Amino acid sequence: MKKKAVILAAGEGRRLRPFTETMPKVMLPVANKPLLEYVFDAVRKSGIEEIIVVVGYKKEVIMEYFKDYKNVKITYVNQDRQLGTAHALLQAKKHIKDSFIVLAGDNIIDPDSIAKLLKDKSEYSLLIKEHPHPSKYGVVFVENRSIRRIVEKPKEDIGKYISTGIYKLPRSVFTDIEQCTSEGAHALSSIVQYLVDKRKPINTIFAKSWMDIVYPWDLISVNEAMIQETSASTSGIIEKGVILKGMVSVGKDTKIYSGCYIVGPVVIGNSCEIGPNTCIFPSTSIGNHTVIHPFSEIRSSVIMNDVHIASNSHISRSVIGKGCIIGNNFSTMTGKTMIEIDDEFKRLETPIGAMVGEDCVIESHVVVDPGKIIGRKCKISPMKHIRKNIPSESKVM
Amino acid sequence: MCGIIGYAGFRDARTVLLESLKRLDYRGYDSAGIAIIDNKLKVYKEVGEIANVEKKIPLLKGTIGVGHTRWATHGGVTKENAHPHVSCDKTIAIVHNGIIENYSKLKEELIKKGHKFTSQTDSEVIVHLIDDAYKGNLEDAVAAAVKKIQGSYSIVAVSEKEPEKIVGIRKESPLVIGVGDSENFFASDITAFLKYTNRVIFLNDGELCVITKNSINIVDKNRKPIKKKEEHITWDVKDAEKSGFAHFMLKEIYEQPDTINQALRGRISEIEETIVFPERVEKLLNNEISTIHIVACGTSYYAGLVSKYLIEQLTNIPVFVEFASEYRYFGVRNESSLIIAITQSGETADTLAALREAQMSGCKTLVVTNVIGSTATRISDGYILQQSGPEIGVAATKTFTSQIIVLFLIALKLALHQKTLGPNELYNYILHLRELPRNVRDILERSDDIIAIAKHLKDAKSVFFIGRGINYPLSLEGALKLKEISYIHAEGFAAGELKHGPFALLTKNTPVVAIVTQDETYEKILSNIGEIKARGSTVIAIAEEKDTEIEKHADFVLRFLASSHVLPCISITVVLQLLAYHVALLRKCPIDKPRNLAKSVTVE
Repeated sequence: MKKKAVILAAGEGRRLRPFTETMPKVMLPVANKPLLEYVFDAVRKSGIEEIIVVVGYKKEVIMEYFKDYKNVKITYVNQDRQLGTAHALLQAKKHIKDSFIVLAGDNIIDPDSIAKLLKDKSEYSLLIKEHPHPSKYGVVFVENRSIRRIVEKPKEDIGKYISTGIYKLPRSVFTDIEQCTSEGAHALSSIVQYLVDKRKPINTIFAKSWMDIVYPWDLISVNEAMIQETSASTSGIIEKGVILKGMVSVGKDTKIYSGCYIVGPVVIGNSCEIGPNTCIFPSTSIGNHTVIHPFSEIRSSVIMNDVHIASNSHISRSVIGKGCIIGNNFSTMTGKTMIEIDDEFKRLETPIGAMVGEDCVIESHVVVDPGKIIGRKCKISPMKHIRKNIPSESKVM
Repeated sequence: MCGIIGYAGFRDARTVLLESLKRLDYRGYDSAGIAIIDNKLKVYKEVGEIANVEKKIPLLKGTIGVGHTRWATHGGVTKENAHPHVSCDKTIAIVHNGIIENYSKLKEELIKKGHKFTSQTDSEVIVHLIDDAYKGNLEDAVAAAVKKIQGSYSIVAVSEKEPEKIVGIRKESPLVIGVGDSENFFASDITAFLKYTNRVIFLNDGELCVITKNSINIVDKNRKPIKKKEEHITWDVKDAEKSGFAHFMLKEIYEQPDTINQALRGRISEIEETIVFPERVEKLLNNEISTIHIVACGTSYYAGLVSKYLIEQLTNIPVFVEFASEYRYFGVRNESSLIIAITQSGETADTLAALREAQMSGCKTLVVTNVIGSTATRISDGYILQQSGPEIGVAATKTFTSQIIVLFLIALKLALHQKTLGPNELYNYILHLRELPRNVRDILERSDDIIAIAKHLKDAKSVFFIGRGINYPLSLEGALKLKEISYIHAEGFAAGELKHGPFALLTKNTPVVAIVTQDETYEKILSNIGEIKARGSTVIAIAEEKDTEIEKHADFVLRFLASSHVLPCISITVVLQLLAYHVALLRKCPIDKPRNLAKSVTVE
């Protein structure tokens, strides 16, 4: 019997717009690897032999990137309409013959926790995690290690354990799902509540490390955490007079010009051009084919693929989307800021800079206030000071 | 035009051969077969897809064997004509790719000697010739047999009397050796064994090789042992798989933002404002060049036509684009002209012949190809790799756009040498090249618009594609894509030529796809569209994002981003590819394997 995992990767991740306008959430890069690749890696290391990936929203982006994956068989199944996680899982039914695990493609999890789940003797089990702000998640109430109740995204912070959405389930669960979805319940958590109501014991196991990305700025903190795990390796051309300190990884065909000062952990992708005299400071990821011109400073940021940053720019605690063209003297301001989310204002605990969507063209000398989100494909004229969020495809004249 | 494979190792040969043949079936897919030595020589062949053959083959224990997938050239598509072919006593089996020109004479002689033929193929004479020469050593017999053969061939042979070895030899047809641990391979193409090894040895014409599980021995024409270098291929087997995409063609279309970057990889520097090629290529481009002849076939020929416009625009060097099959016989050869051959596989027979002809008359030759170590890279004075990874779909997509990019880089380099391009202009071109991947992503994100338009073409009997300037060869390519995968008759025309003839064919049931860019011919193409509309035909325009005038003229508009006047041809090509794909999909055509076509045409 082959150990199988179903990974749910069909969702859009609306709260992560503008970055998810052209790719599904699972493809957001962290330390130059999509979230989904971390999940694949963890699943593979835990001993899973076959992966079924449920894809839907912008599925081509996933399929084009992964193609086939290191010695683990991958089967793609399609969810045409993104109705919910249970409905997504149902699409994998015909590929499942025995008990299996299911997990979300956009949560980073460690392989040991999955291995623990696999070894668990009970028919149904769930990985849970203690969380300071459980209200964003499915809150789990536990009695004798079994689930008593699960409440999806409660209005206020109640309880202290949340569901990671990583389950081990028997094949028979598909019958339950079919029952529930026919009654209009499409979320996996409602299936769990249904099972609890039917007095099925659902065992809980603590996950060691588990991370979720909910808002665009979460990319900065998750990138900071995951970049620690990468190892130093340098290829490409590094000119004389470049200083590399700590863990710095430089990809193939990348050229770093003289006078650059790079302090790890820093990951730089393939075919980039950096410098001369550019400074890159810890917890920065720079994607493939990106060019950074002289005298720029980048710190704690995620710069995606195909980005062009002209000279004298200062980018800190920011996310720059794929394909952006940024003129010289671009500057992001950082600070603890009030952010409007889902109609309520929240003060962020850590300072953040700018969130710039894909394919923006920003002319020279543009300054962005802390925490401002610039949508995808925006055009910004020279000398502009961006003080509020800019919707996608707008022009700032 | 066929795919061949040979395996000697420790794995179950049946599985390895079938797996490899599936990866070769783009080279031919009308019949297939395998021969395995399982104590005795056992041969299985069938008409149709490899899956048909697979069903008929029992589990066998053998770990050595040969396989073949056929695209008929001599003799119809029948089980008898499928390879492997066996000797009269059924102890020797061969697979062959190529054409034996003197086979009828050889066949007569062999029949006189008592050999019994069971097929109508030219290939069968080979196995009887080997059988005739066999005196206990297979490589001696193969060497003796090929001495009598005229034509092109790659041959792989096994004999149950020497159950450890496989013998391979080539002349003007591709054959590569895959080097594994305790296993070795022969194949027409690297992709066949990429799943098992990425270490490759390329054979030259006339070289003969014997592989066993643990050894590879190569001899030259005079049977003198030679040592050859192993090369490591960076392609990955995952590149040759479809993953979740419905077709290879669609996957390859979606790969283009990446393959464009790959074509530029290591060649342009934005910070240094330079374009760099290998030294041999630099030297070729630095020469006094009076004219350029581009020789190619099929889609590569259209890439050549596109580059004619790019090179002439940038350099003032006249460019002549010629079909390789014509140039080799009729082309004008001038020592001061540079011959640029474009061949994706590096094995296209006509293009190779044209290259050889050109070299004989003293011309310098430069090859643009996708396959390192291919014949074209070895016989030319210099080569540039497209770096696009293997292309499996028979309809060329990503390799076409990569070829254009590489040729554009050549054009820029030539312009620098000719001093027709200043450094500041070069910098702008480099920036525009960097923007291409995002322009292509933009098209891919709008594929829903293209799907909607495809409905208007799916029932057409005939479709016209028109354009002016560089858009003319794109019209040809658009028409080629449509006809080869959707089987709708399609023609590309220079828009100005419509009224000199083709107009007679235009009816209101002939949709016209017009490529419109805002250059000096903009007004002209609008009036062409007007003339077409006057005859009641539907016009689908492919136009720039910012062009608001076009809606008033065309029935439907498909948009592309043109951040500059440079290279919108890449974005337009992607629109044309997706259009052809979706029309074919609606018509339920076998997109990756259109009837009667094969990927790389290694016969003349």
